[in-house]
Amino acid sequence: MIKVRIPTPLRPMTGGKNEVEIAGNSVAEILENLGSAHPGIKERICDDEGEVRRFINIYVNEEDIRFLTGKETPLKEGDEVSIIPAIAGGR
Amino acid sequence: MFYIPSGLIQDMIAHARELAPHECCGILAGTNQTVAENYRITNILATMSEQELSRFEGAKLSDLQRLSPEERADIAFQMDAREMAMAQRAIRAKDHELLGFYHSHTFSPARPSQTDITIAMEFESYRTKLNLPAPLHLIVSLEHPDTPDIRAYRIMDSQATEVSIQPISAS
Repeated sequence: MIKVRIPTPLRPMTGGKNEVEIAGNSVAEILENLGSAHPGIKERICDDEGEVRRFINIYVNEEDIRFLTGKETPLKEGDEVSIIPAIAGGR
Repeated sequence: MFYIPSGLIQDMIAHARELAPHECCGILAGTNQTVAENYRITNILATMSEQELSRFEGAKLSDLQRLSPEERADIAFQMDAREMAMAQRAIRAKDHELLGFYHSHTFSPARPSQTDITIAMEFESYRTKLNLPAPLHLIVSLEHPDTPDIRAYRIMDSQATEVSIQPISAS
């Protein structure tokens, strides 16, 4: 199982949990299984083409998956996936 | 006290003016208490879908939903995540640290809004897990267009505390 950190705006979809344990051997599998376990959450992370939305970064441990092999990045026991919206704000 | 080269301060003011009335945003990097470079990051808010706006919460979300996409970027910003990741990679390659974030307030003072504080606290909950230092939040206000105001803050425990910034000549 892989520990997946859920960002604040999506926690209502995981019953308020900031971390969930999800099975999967790649980031793509994690996103798919996360979506099955918590309906609607995958659509908040990925667009209609299945690509990660432009304001979200996904990290495996401390590295952005864009600098690994994207959604195909393989995962092993003990890895941690963090879904993190980029900084925003406003007056 | 944070030290920022005068040229970078001028560049952040220029960035704010170029994008006004939209808010601009970017990243500050350097070492210790000294900023060495800024990265301009695209504010993608005006091109975000209605569904994507749910990234914001409460009153700000309601405000954004009432406005046209173009008007939304006048009162808020959302950094492009890919550009942010690229900047973080460049920062590491230079042995610099991510020291903070900046954005502009086109029509309001250089003080963090409730949205700024809420999202800074959201970032704070991830920051230590990603081994990043506590960031400075710098705001460029164009409320008085001829006399831009720049102020910097630490945001901890939902409280913003102003931090002095000292302009330095570029080395």
